[in-house]
Amino acid sequence: MTSPPSEQRRISVGIGQIAVSRDSHEVLVAYGLGSCIGVSAHDPESGVCGLVHVLLPASDGKVPQSSEPARFADTGVDVLLREMAAVGATSRRIVVKLAGGAAVLGPGNAEKFKIGERNAEAVKERLKRHGLRPAREDLGGTRGRTLELHVGTGKTFVRMAASPASEL
Amino acid sequence: MTTDTEEQLVASLASVARDGALRAGRGLSGLMGQEITIHVPAVRFGTKADACDAVGGEEALVMGAYLTIAGDITGHVMLFFPVSRALACADLMCGQAPGTTTEADDLATSAIAELGNIVGSAFVNALADRMNLVLHPSPPSVVNDMAIALVESVYAEILTQGGDVVMIDTVFEDNGGNVAGLLIVAPDAMALPRLRELAA
Repeated sequence: MTSPPSEQRRISVGIGQIAVSRDSHEVLVAYGLGSCIGVSAHDPESGVCGLVHVLLPASDGKVPQSSEPARFADTGVDVLLREMAAVGATSRRIVVKLAGGAAVLGPGNAEKFKIGERNAEAVKERLKRHGLRPAREDLGGTRGRTLELHVGTGKTFVRMAASPASEL
Repeated sequence: MTTDTEEQLVASLASVARDGALRAGRGLSGLMGQEITIHVPAVRFGTKADACDAVGGEEALVMGAYLTIAGDITGHVMLFFPVSRALACADLMCGQAPGTTTEADDLATSAIAELGNIVGSAFVNALADRMNLVLHPSPPSVVNDMAIALVESVYAEILTQGGDVVMIDTVFEDNGGNVAGLLIVAPDAMALPRLRELAA
């Protein structure tokens, strides 16, 4: 991937956060996804893009804190699709890509801590309820990832530590 | 949970962190052959990205060790160094000329695991002594990744139990005042009532 033009603005989407944009100069970025899942969503017709940084699998009825509206997979996916629809996206056209869900705390702990795996399952399950399935995914493993969505093109890129980005 | 209890817990954990820092500093200074000073700037609740600032920001690559705490209470210990610092530590520990280690090979990995063992155990033992708890640190796992990816994974593990996340950040500085490393101790949520009780 070539470096983004200088006029592009990188919008950091932190843990439990969501960003929706149709500004072609913006790049939505979820830095350092460990066990978290980055959900990249793009409606090619309306140009609306969205990115959500999910921390935990299920809200179990808990209302997410306003500071982390997308903390949970279920409520996070719902909010993402609702906010995208509010600015012109149509759910059935949305192309979804996923990255993250790793076990980064050492191979010895991978079996013990399965939060990444559970997060991935929960996101897919919630997408399915909305009639969506991921077009591409880069999930699991033992390395953290950074996910970015270029609003101007709708392209999604993933990179691992000290590695070049590749299109998802 | 009252504010008084919260303040008591913070004061108590800060005291443990200072004691752990002293012990770890002694161990590290002996190991490195130079004076290592460890500062405890704050005990913070529910922080994530802040912890990464000390080692270079959201995408900073770090090398270090991760341990779990078992026993009367459970929790997590993370020791992070900027990668160049970790490799420099490995040279010091192995008695090699600075700059000899240029990648995380087996020897460097083993040295970092030992560092994690010394520093992590110092903090866990300080916590055990101050709180009169029986605690066992696990063998260290060496980690080499983006700092935020490691911190958020521990944050998520603790939150799955419900309750609060308490992360004690401890910054190591060398003689020149440069950040040499970061230690994060995070008790599991189910350990907090016991810690609050002991701190009261």
